[in-house]
Amino acid sequence: MTITLYDYTLSGSCYKVRLLLNFLGLSYDRRQMNFYPGRQHKSPEFLEINPLGQLPALQDGDLILRDAQAILCHLANKYDADGHWLPRDERFGDVMMWVMFAGGELMNSSAARLHDALGYKLDVHAARTNAHAAFRVLEDHMTAREIAGRKWIVGDTPTIADIASFPYIALSGEGGIGHEDYPALRNWMRDFRRLDRFHAMPGVPEFV
Amino acid sequence: MLAMWRGEDGPVRIWEDRCPHRGMRLSFGFVRGDALRCIYHGWSYRTDGQCIEIPAHPELTPPKTICASSYPAESRYGIVWTNLERGGPAPFPDLGPDEGWLPVRSLYVNRPAGQVEAAVESFDFGAPSSIRLKNPSAILLGIGSQMEMLLAIQPVNADRTGLHAVVRGENASAARADLARRMQHLRAEIEAEREKK
Ligand SMILES: N[C@@H](CCC(=O)N[C@@H](CS)C(=O)NCC(=O)O)C(=O)O
Ligand code: FES
Repeated sequence: MTITLYDYTLSGSCYKVRLLLNFLGLSYDRRQMNFYPGRQHKSPEFLEINPLGQLPALQDGDLILRDAQAILCHLANKYDADGHWLPRDERFGDVMMWVMFAGGELMNSSAARLHDALGYKLDVHAARTNAHAAFRVLEDHMTAREIAGRKWIVGDTPTIADIASFPYIALSGEGGIGHEDYPALRNWMRDFRRLDRFHAMPGVPEFV
Repeated sequence: MLAMWRGEDGPVRIWEDRCPHRGMRLSFGFVRGDALRCIYHGWSYRTDGQCIEIPAHPELTPPKTICASSYPAESRYGIVWTNLERGGPAPFPDLGPDEGWLPVRSLYVNRPAGQVEAAVESFDFGAPSSIRLKNPSAILLGIGSQMEMLLAIQPVNADRTGLHAVVRGENASAARADLARRMQHLRAEIEAEREKK
């Protein structure tokens, strides 16, 4: 069965999916979309795939999915038999809670970046303020985790909660949101970048 | 802004966060051995600040004048102290031997240092506390009879302040999680207050 990812290299949301595909060692077709300046994600052909006109989208056999978080859940559910990335025990709810946070509150960092990098018209001040508020929530959580001797958002190993959260924290500087106030997030990002099969994207340093 | 780093030879270095080449932030760079390498064009700096390699001109010995600008740096009680006046020493309080301190956390408050300082002095850290020592950059609190917490106060700019807390004493290890949470409440309390002039 072929997996096709409707992808854009500079998209942090697409990067979430590429990260998991890589961690799982899955091969896939990469359909490079001309997001900017081509706006191919708003073309009639692509709106057939995702009526919301957003990247990423994923086709897996007959199944077509949109939303990075949903795609992470699907891939982990189907291809990660051990439940490493999406544990099915008591950690499940916790993982899902942070995955939703990554697709929700943390997307304020994406909005600020779209404003600064691609000139999107939006209230960038509000986006930055809300992103900082979200970063703080995760910073406090990761501080408590560090004190408890833990490295990851949930449990003892990385999960899709870490994958979903990583891109828009790592890329936030491109939206004018610095990492200075978030030492626990910096430690966590460093550990994430050290994971086996981790790969970078433009704006995310490869080096640790 | 500052770049802090540590080479393999140990001590923390504090430099201006600015590459002498084209001004890229050195804190975006990476450490290899005892050198800090700039992320932009890869110029490499020794722990004393001297540039030792320019990848675009491998045969060139970089002139002595290419040098990162540094500040004093002292690690004490699990906190790194500096002095932006450069001339003076890092202003850490004298708390005796360096041993026994455990980290609580660092946290940033969107309020001026004066307001943060005042709030720390009257905050409830879970047991009766007293101010044992105070200088412009730190407050030492006795918490109950068994513990001491040191809070270093870092004025980031006119309306942002860093708080760096460490603790020592009996039960300090078990108290860290609770103290870290209380610091969140402290932050919320301070930020809920109207800014004071
Ligand atoms: N909820 C979606 C949002 C993804 C998203 O914001 N994608 C951006 C590119 S990074 C996009 O396609 N924006 C175009 C638009 O929203 O019109 C997800 O998490 O996958
Ligand atoms: S700016 Fe640092 S090497 Fe060029």
